[in-house]
Formats: sequence, C-alpha cells, structure tokens
Amino acid sequence: MKINQHTTDHTLTLVLDGELDASSSVLLDTELNQPSILEYQKVLIDCQRLNYISSAGLGVFISHLQRFQDANVKLVFFNMQEKVHNVFEILGLDSLLTIVPSEAEATAI
Amino acid sequence: MQPFALLSWVGLLVCTLLYARPTLAPGVGTPPSWLLLGVQAIFAAAVFLQERARPDRLRGLDFVGLLRSLVFGPGLLATICVLLHLIERLLKTQVPSTSPMLFTVLYTVNVGLFILFLARTNYSWRSLVLFRSSARLRRIWEWFELLLGITLLLSLVPRSLPYSLTTALLGGLAVLGVYISSHQKWVAYLNRRQKIQAVLLQAGIIVAMGVFAAYFLQTQYDPLLVAPAPQHAFLVLNAFFAAFYAFMGLMVTFFNLPTAGVFEQKREEILSLQRLTQLIQKSQTPEEVYRMLFDSAIQTVEADAAWLEVESTEGIDYTGQHYHISPDQAAAIQRLLTEYNLGHIEYLNNDLQNSAGFRSLELSYGSMIVMPLRSSKRQYGALYMLKEQRQGFDRENLSILQTFTSQTVLSIENLQLMQASIQNQLVQEELKIASSVQDSLIPKDLPIDNWFEISSHAQAAKEVGGDFYDFLHLPGRRLAVLIGDVSGKGITAAFHVAQMKGIFHALMQENPLARNEREKFPVPSKFMAQANSALARCLERSAFITASLYIIDYEHGGFVFARAGHCHTLYYHSIKEEVSYFHTAGLGLGIIRNDSYEKHIKNQFYDYNPGDVMVIYTDGIVEARNAAGEEYGEDRLQQMLERTYYMDAAVIKESILTDLEEFSRGQPMHDDQTLLVIKFRASQPDIPL
Repeated sequence: MKINQHTTDHTLTLVLDGELDASSSVLLDTELNQPSILEYQKVLIDCQRLNYISSAGLGVFISHLQRFQDANVKLVFFNMQEKVHNVFEILGLDSLLTIVPSEAEATAI
Repeated sequence: MQPFALLSWVGLLVCTLLYARPTLAPGVGTPPSWLLLGVQAIFAAAVFLQERARPDRLRGLDFVGLLRSLVFGPGLLATICVLLHLIERLLKTQVPSTSPMLFTVLYTVNVGLFILFLARTNYSWRSLVLFRSSARLRRIWEWFELLLGITLLLSLVPRSLPYSLTTALLGGLAVLGVYISSHQKWVAYLNRRQKIQAVLLQAGIIVAMGVFAAYFLQTQYDPLLVAPAPQHAFLVLNAFFAAFYAFMGLMVTFFNLPTAGVFEQKREEILSLQRLTQLIQKSQTPEEVYRMLFDSAIQTVEADAAWLEVESTEGIDYTGQHYHISPDQAAAIQRLLTEYNLGHIEYLNNDLQNSAGFRSLELSYGSMIVMPLRSSKRQYGALYMLKEQRQGFDRENLSILQTFTSQTVLSIENLQLMQASIQNQLVQEELKIASSVQDSLIPKDLPIDNWFEISSHAQAAKEVGGDFYDFLHLPGRRLAVLIGDVSGKGITAAFHVAQMKGIFHALMQENPLARNEREKFPVPSKFMAQANSALARCLERSAFITASLYIIDYEHGGFVFARAGHCHTLYYHSIKEEVSYFHTAGLGLGIIRNDSYEKHIKNQFYDYNPGDVMVIYTDGIVEARNAAGEEYGEDRLQQMLERTYYMDAAVIKESILTDLEEFSRGQPMHDDQTLLVIKFRASQPDIPL
C-alpha cells in the first residue's frame, strides 16, 4: 500500500495505491490524523489503484467521518473500482459518503 | 607369580640355612655361594615382576592415598625389620649358641622384606612418574627397568667384568634415576592440605628406607653373618632410586607449599565458576540468579565488602544487595564514580587512597572492582567489589568476574525468554477458553418445524471470530434469525459478538406496553436502531458491526427483514423460478452514533412461497480467494443456488461449501465464514396433540 498526496489551493488529494488491509490502514490513519488536514476545504481520495479494502480500512474512514464533518471538510471519493464500490455500498456508506466517478466531478463539488 | 616368589624365598631360606650350618643336611653339603645369589636373584626378579604386573595403584588424582598405602603398607615392614633385630639381640643375650644361625635367618627375612619394600615403592613411583607423561618418558622408564634387570645378573657372572664397565653401567643408571626423579608433575595437582600430607608421607618413606639402610650397614660386617653379600648393584640402585625420588618429591612439594595458596585459589575460581553455572541453571527466578552471582563473586575474589546494584525491572522487586557495607556508603562511592564518569563501566582501582575524592569519603578500602552486568541489548546493573588492602585485585580477578557476570546475564535473559514463552502459552490457553466460550454461543439446536428447514455452517479463521448468528422463537409462530459480522478479529471482536447476542436477546423481549400483537416485539429496523444506540457507547471509534435480522412469520407465510450493512440476501423465488439478491439499503451499526441512524435503515417485507430458499452468509464466504487472488463473489454464489435450489437445505449448504472449498483450495482462510440456508416448505396445518 502506497499513499501519495498532492495539494492544490484548498484541496488535498490522497492517492491510494494497493490493498487497504489491517496493516496498511494504520498508514492511512496516520495521514488522516494530522491536525493540518482539517485546514483544507476538501479532501479527495483517489481510489483508482485501490484494489481491495478490508473492514479495517473502512473503519479508518468511518472513524474520521464525524471529525471531518465537524470541521466542515468535505471528504470525496472518486475513480472507485466497482468491487471496492460494492463494499462501500453493501455497508451503506454510499449514502453517507460522497462518491463520484471522476476527478473532474470531485473537484467540481 | 605370587607362589613363585614365595617358593623362591623358601628356597633362599633353605639355602641360607644350609650355608650357615652345613651339618643340618650332611648329605647335601654346603651350597655354593653362586646358588645362593642365584636364588636370591630369582626371588628379587619374581617380586619385582609381580609388582610390575599389578594394575596401576594410582586411583584418579588420589596421590595422597597412594603415598599413604605405601607408608602404612610396605613402610611398616621396616618396623618389623627393627623388631626382628631387637628380638635377635635379646635372644643373643639369653642363648648365645643359636645366634649365628638365627642371625643369618633373620637377615634373610629382612633381605626379603627390603626387596618387597623396594619393589612396592619403585612401582608406586612409576605411577607418579608416568602420570600424564609423554610417550618418550614411558620409553625411558622401560629402558630403566630393563637395565636394572641386567644388573641383577651382574653378580651371577664371574667377577671378570672390567671394573670400569660395571661402574659406567651403575653410574649411568644412577644418573638415569636422577633424571627420572625430576618428573614430579603430580605435585601440581595437590591442594595445600594434600601437599602437607604428601611431605609427611614422603618423609615417612625416607625414614623407612633409612631404617633398612642402617640395619644393612650395621649387619654388613657383623662377625655373626655367615651369608654371602646380597645383590649389591641391583638393590643399591633400587634403594637409591626409591630414596632419591622420595627426596625430590619431598623437596618439590615442600617448596611448592608457599605457592599452594595461589594454585588453590585458581582452582577454587574454576570450581566456583562451574558451581555457579550449575546452580544458576537450576535457578527459577532472576533474583536467585543475582544472589548466586553475588555470593560466588565475594567468595571467589575474597572481597571484604561488596554490593550488587540491579536496575529495577518489571515484575521483580529485587534491586541488589550489600555485603559488609551500608547502602549509604555504597551510594556515596557510586556518586563519586558517576562524578568521574566511571559508573557502569568495567573498572579496576588498586590504590583507592590515592584518590582525593575517595579519601574524602573516609572509608578504609584500598582496592576496588566495578563489573557491569550487561548484554548487547541492555544494562542490567553492576557488581562492586572492595578490599581493604591496596593492590588487592589483579587482572585475573577481573576476568573471572567478567565470566561470572556474562554467565549471569545469559541466565537472566534465558529466564526472561522462558517466562515470555510461558506467558505466550497462557495467552494461548486463554484463547482456547475464549474459543470454547464462543463456541457455546453458537446455537447448537437449530429450530425444527415442519414449515421450513434450516441448515447452518460456521467456521472461524482464528481461535475466536467476529461472525455470529442466532435464532429466537417468538410467540405467534414467528422466528427471529440474526446474522452478523463484527469488524476486526480476535478477542475484541469476540467480545462484541457476545455483546450483540446479549442485545438480541434483550431487545427481543415482549413489550408489556404494546397496544397490539404486532408491536409486542420490535420490527427489524427498530431493533437495528436500538442496537445501534446500545453499541454507540461501547464500540471503539473505528469498529462497526454489520447485521441482518429476519423475522419469519410462518403462520402468514411472510417475513420482514432489515439489513444493517450486511451482505445481501440471496433468494430463490419458486413462483418466478429465479434466483436474485434482495438489494436493500441499510447502514452498518456503529457508523453513525446518533439518532439519525434510523433514517438509514429500512424494513423489507416479502411473502414467501413453499419451495423458496433463502441463503444468508457473511463476507468470509464471498470474499474467499483462490490462488489467482480472485474473490468467490456474489455471482458464483448465485449460480450455485440456481443449480441446487430444488434440493434439501442441508444439501444446498454442502454443495455451496464444497464449491467454495474447491475454489479456494490451498489458500489460507482469511476471514470467518458463516452460511445459513433456509428452505420454506408447503404450509401444513397444525396437528393437534
């Protein structure tokens, strides 16, 4: 699992590459835990290369959901592979999170 | 050999008697003197050969025992010799007429005793000379024996041999005896006490030798003696060697006495190291190991005062101990060392009073060793040894303490490893218990009714799992079925499983305030909302639970269910003859932890028909992977039901599991797997009992 990030103005984009399982979700948690992350207006998660997400990975997003909402930071997922999207959907997270097909749409929000 | 020696001695005695008084046997006459000497030589040879053939008298390192048996065995022969001589003198005053013959007989007896004594002594010396000797020395000894044997023949040949040759042979043998006498390696193996004993015993042998020598010197020219001179060369050489070796041994031992203490100390050090190693291995706790080290170290370097400082470790109260020094004094010295940056490094000071800082402490110690206890990983503490005198310690003390401490540290680390493995074992045991507790939470008796068939399968990937399912009969011919999965694995997940079961049984209680039959029990969506708020307070932030609750009303042939983020239900519709998933919305439990959760969960009603099949499972089934990394998936599961829907519930379940097993063969099981198959049957009227 690799996590690359790039920023533009008020947007932070995290590019997830690989499988988000119990061990790699610790990495993601560290990234999302940085206090500076709440200074952005938007945090975009690029899921194009995210091949698999375990319940531990989902747990990381879930645990930060409230914090992002309170700080008024938008969390947007895009480029999600179908099987990963399916996992989000089964858990009911699709109704809770913003998941859009492309980066353009994600930036437009 | 023994009877031969005895026989030859009897022969010697007879010959001597005849020689002394030929009138005893007039027919035989006086035996010639060569015969007498010959018999004597045969006797000497027999005794020496007999002694030579005996097994080594030295047992292990018991040199003192060897000397003692020599002194108190053959050594006492000298006393007999003296006694016989005294008796003879006493008799001479009483019966003068018998004395020449008696004198001669006693002389012969004494010659025999002397030969016995020499043989025994010199073969005892052989044991000492050849103790851990080289092959060369062994060869020299054999030559020495052979040449001595030749001297035995010397007196038998006519006295025509050139004087110089005899002298050269005898002189050479004497020199060889002196050379052999310089081999006193055994002395080094005696401790101080044994050395003193050895000196006394060797002196005893020399005294015995002196007694014989004095007797023979005195009787040699006695007018009463009517026997030919005995085997001079052989006996003198043997006596010389016996006495000289004893004398050399005595000297060597005597001059080794002052250094015996040092030898002994070194020996003691080695022994105490062995002892320490053995004891330490038996020790059960680090504290015992430290105590053992402390006691052995003090004993070995003979410290006047000492203390051991052990850094406090988890679970051990022991922080060290003091010997003949108060903790305050120790602390003061330690402060001083820290000031000089000498704390916890290997350090030897043999002139403490030379240091102004130490003098200011007003302690009388002159020497000190600091020996740290450490491994490559960490520091365990340090050992401090003090002596009153200056120059009290040497490099050897330092190195032996080094060995002690490294042995100790090794043992401490071994103990820690052992404790860790025991701890690990305990955890494994507890996991086993947890596993069996969890096993008892899984319903063993499936509901049986003629309206439906249920078949179930549950397998945890590890000792304890995060999957759960349960059944509850509700009044009014209804059955509640719960299935779910706690995120994460291990003990935490298992704990939440137990919690979910508790919540299930608590919420599925009859509400006494209900206005009608239908409201007596919560509908699935209501149940999920209540469970969510119950879990909100105790589930850790990143954990969540997925669950589905079905309430089957088999009186009315329908069911209602809610899906809280759990896997979709696979269903075979017998009327439509098709297999599909119920795609309903529903959020997992613990994701939203406020009242708004209720908006995210829906009830789904369905009227079933006989022959319908419901397949309920956890993600461990559909996410199982094959060697290529592909997931089993919902589609494959759906195809399986399309192929098997007409069979019994148990057969459908087995077919799915077999297919899954084939799919993921050889792959480790990553997640718990739970599978329930419910098949509805044609409704049958109740048969009144």
